[in-house]
Amino acid sequence: MEPIAEFSMTGLSYDGQMDVLKDVNLVIRNGDFRFLTGPSGAGKTSLLKLIYLAQMPTAGKLSLFGQDVRDMAREDQPAIRRRIGVVFQEFRLLDHLTAFENVALPMRVAGVNQLDYRQDVTELLTWVGLGRKMDALPPTLSGGEKQRVALARALVAKPDLILADEPTGNVDPIMGERIMRLLVELNRLGTAVIVATHDLALVRRMKKNILRLKDGNLTLHGPLKDPVPDKPATPEAPADEAATQSLERRIS
Amino acid sequence: MSDLPVERDDTVPAETDKAPRLRRTPLLPEAGAAGASLTAVIAVICFLAALSLTGFYSVSKAAQDWTADLRGSITIQVKGSNVEQIAAETADVIAFLEGREGILTAEALSREQAGALLEPWLGRGNLPASLPVPGIIAVKVAPSLRGELDALSDDIGQVAPNAIVDDHGAWNASLAASARVIQIFAFCVFLLIMGAVCTVIIFAARAGLAANREVVDVLHLVGATDKFIAKEVQRRFLILGLRGSVLGVAAAALAVVAAVLVMGGTVANNYFLPSFSTDSGLFIWLLVVPLLTCLVAAWSARTTVLKTLEKRF
Repeated sequence: MEPIAEFSMTGLSYDGQMDVLKDVNLVIRNGDFRFLTGPSGAGKTSLLKLIYLAQMPTAGKLSLFGQDVRDMAREDQPAIRRRIGVVFQEFRLLDHLTAFENVALPMRVAGVNQLDYRQDVTELLTWVGLGRKMDALPPTLSGGEKQRVALARALVAKPDLILADEPTGNVDPIMGERIMRLLVELNRLGTAVIVATHDLALVRRMKKNILRLKDGNLTLHGPLKDPVPDKPATPEAPADEAATQSLERRIS
Repeated sequence: MSDLPVERDDTVPAETDKAPRLRRTPLLPEAGAAGASLTAVIAVICFLAALSLTGFYSVSKAAQDWTADLRGSITIQVKGSNVEQIAAETADVIAFLEGREGILTAEALSREQAGALLEPWLGRGNLPASLPVPGIIAVKVAPSLRGELDALSDDIGQVAPNAIVDDHGAWNASLAASARVIQIFAFCVFLLIMGAVCTVIIFAARAGLAANREVVDVLHLVGATDKFIAKEVQRRFLILGLRGSVLGVAAAALAVVAAVLVMGGTVANNYFLPSFSTDSGLFIWLLVVPLLTCLVAAWSARTTVLKTLEKRF
């Protein structure tokens, strides 16, 4: 099976100025879980932008699902974007739509009949623990709730890859932990996940492979070693068992 | 787990979470005040469009009525230097015309009626008995006779050598020409006004996209095509155009009604304003304005959005 994303000697510079990304070589396959770390301005967000087609590489090659992004017509981009779910630090929800409508958005823009996605959206919101807030507007939700709506929105179209750019940046530590658990759970069910973060404590606890960016150069590393034994500060299950199982059934 | 201050509802099993009722909130937020002022602009534009169309219609109608009147009648003038001779020839012409095929009526103006026509020059009651006022015969003819007027004219010449037949052709032609000029003018005004609708919508659609950049980015992110976004914007401007144009046309219709009521019975009313009894067609014509406005608005919005998205998003 072709990789989800394949960078080869990929570079990015804005307006021909300094290189934001230099000669990146990276392959993301089904089921991968990667942390993307590095100091602010190292190019983490730019790397993700290349994958969700908000930017075009200025050097080298990038293929998504076997298609070279630079050969892709503008009309072909939406189909690729539908296979990639994105979660942002600043949530990017539509404030005039309810939680339910925000989560349903990818289905709506794909022209799916409401009756066909109603159940999925309800299940997902229940899975992220917002079954009772489906009619709430984002401005009335807490940061953690907004991020879980955003996560449900990223998941609803059953993407092959989830990109999360500092997903825990605007939520309290416990909620951050829960969101990470949801992502891990999702990965266990088969979805590839890339999480950009500079929260090294989090990276350490999760014990996943790491992509490190520094000054636009990408290097690959194994999981960070625990400096001290992990505190049992993490909640165990991300959501109720029944909801997880139904999600599992849907994804597989 | 129970000691964690998490916000989720573990108590609620999935089956009991009722999905919200089905509805479709517009994806682009309501324009609010901007939408209201744009509606007002479109209403004003459509008001003017409806008035120009009313002008076009009234002039067409009036010109039609006038030329139809003129085409159905001819005037025969009998000149001479002697009152008796004029009277005799006039009587001959009438006798000749009576009973001829295609002649509906033929009536000579009496000397009093002729005198009334001359009043502005001679003053009332100053018509000398000896003044050889030309005899004037108003003839109503059937349309079928129109083509044979030359022959008729020759025949009348045989009966009364001093008779001149005037078929109003010159008048008719110049009247039709002036009416056409006014029609073209009114129609151009109408087209210009529709062009204004187009321009306003293009401007508003661009501004709307710029103002909703974040929303558009999110829509793209979740896989929306440009066409999908264009459709959302298009629907928006369609509704806006409908609202504005219906308001504007309703106001214009009221204005026309008011004008007819105020000027009832005056010359202006008789010749230039539509009358309700005969011109209900005008109000059907006015429906063209909202229809066309909506079409123009939707089309301009769609084209603008597709172009702008390709260029800037």
